[in-house]
Amino acid sequence: MINYKEIKSEELRKEAEELKDKYFLFSIIVVDRINEGKFELNYLFENKENADLINLKTFILRNDPKIDSISDIFPAADYEEREAYDMFGIIFTGHKNLKRILLPEDWPFGYPLRKDFVINDEIRNWTGTDLRW
Amino acid sequence: MNGFEINVGPAHPSTHGVLKFKLTIEGDTIKKAEAEIGFLHRGKEKAAEDVTYMSYLPFVDKIEYVSALNMELLYSSLIEKALNIQISERAKYIRTIMAEFGRIMNHLVFLAAFGEDLGLISEFFWALRERELLMDIIEEISGGRLAPVYIRPGGVFFDFKEGIENKIIEAMEKLEYKIKEVHEYAIIKNSIFKARTKGVGILKKEDAINLGVTGPNARASGINRDYRKLNPYLIYDKLDFKVPVFDEGDAYARCLVRMEEIKESIKIIKEATKNIPKGDYLIKMPWIIKIPPAYTIEIQETPRGEIGMILVSDGSERAYRLKIRSASFFAIKAMEKILEGEKIANFYPILASLDPVMGEIDR
Repeated sequence: MINYKEIKSEELRKEAEELKDKYFLFSIIVVDRINEGKFELNYLFENKENADLINLKTFILRNDPKIDSISDIFPAADYEEREAYDMFGIIFTGHKNLKRILLPEDWPFGYPLRKDFVINDEIRNWTGTDLRW
Repeated sequence: MNGFEINVGPAHPSTHGVLKFKLTIEGDTIKKAEAEIGFLHRGKEKAAEDVTYMSYLPFVDKIEYVSALNMELLYSSLIEKALNIQISERAKYIRTIMAEFGRIMNHLVFLAAFGEDLGLISEFFWALRERELLMDIIEEISGGRLAPVYIRPGGVFFDFKEGIENKIIEAMEKLEYKIKEVHEYAIIKNSIFKARTKGVGILKKEDAINLGVTGPNARASGINRDYRKLNPYLIYDKLDFKVPVFDEGDAYARCLVRMEEIKESIKIIKEATKNIPKGDYLIKMPWIIKIPPAYTIEIQETPRGEIGMILVSDGSERAYRLKIRSASFFAIKAMEKILEGEKIANFYPILASLDPVMGEIDR
């Protein structure tokens, strides 16, 4: 059973506190809604005892992608938030170690899962820091 | 005083692929561990936005190359759920058998790697020898071995050949004998193995669930949670099988869980093979499909834990966004926690016991 709920981005921490005892964080799904100029964030929580799901949906502005981190409430959010930062460039305020996780730390081309990211030859042939003599 | 920092990996045979750990040590005790992942990142989620739904099938196999069949099943179920298609009863049975094949093969690789990491090279050969039994059957059914593109939306690509049922039963009986007579003595009744794994790398129950750890790793920490029982898909509600749960939470318990799961999977395959009904194995559907705008969630119990695929479709023939929720990703996060206060020598048994596959973590 899935419960869908739409919330404002400021209410996220409050909502997350309420879910803390019964649910664990399953995943954070970010969708780039480029036509509306927004990022859609889906926080998917799963019940600890059964298979019930809660999907908290919230929108943030695409040109100012900031939202509160919930990694202190749900430790599992740590890596998921880092991945969202890595792939979409969303800043999670309050996250203790917000840096790239899957891409190299010196990746210069921005955020690959954004819809305006185009894979060109420069990206295809990029090999990282030049380590030749 | 600040301790030393040592790097483990990324190029080391025991790190199960390309995983790097930065350990801060004092003496030989680990004070802090930080994982560095992403060396095998191939942009599978981005690739899903570039190819059509059906053409993504071969990509799915390479996300998780140790139990590729389970990932095919997950992706196919996701597409069927989004299109609201019901598959035939025969296809459900075939899929269940193949999914349990995937589980056994994955756990055999786990035993092989665990043995090798602790210097028990014989176990490596023995476990892979048993895996070959299943590989041959899968090759006969699907034509592929490591990445058989076999399960597809609508059913499976090929029907079971005549007489394959007997071969499956025969292989299962052989495997059951080998597990009891070889692997239990080589691994879980081996006193050296016990000494190296008992009480090592304890993951507490509260930590496990809060860190999002699922599957065998969670069940070794006393969490009775199996998605096949919680939300039965395919024919799992008709089958009689047990979910092994252990309370210790150490590396030894994680090994025991897998051992018991192999036995349960053998039971499932035997039962399903005997009762397989006649009928169609595939519902005809076009190769290029369009999925109406929706938000579809599909979660299944793979050998590594609960892996989920979340599809955001927009009415076209390509995915607008496909999120793959990896299970090992959370296990690596949990490993940072487990390692605090452990000895460096215990690093490899702990890593092997969590059974991470880098392809799935880095996607």
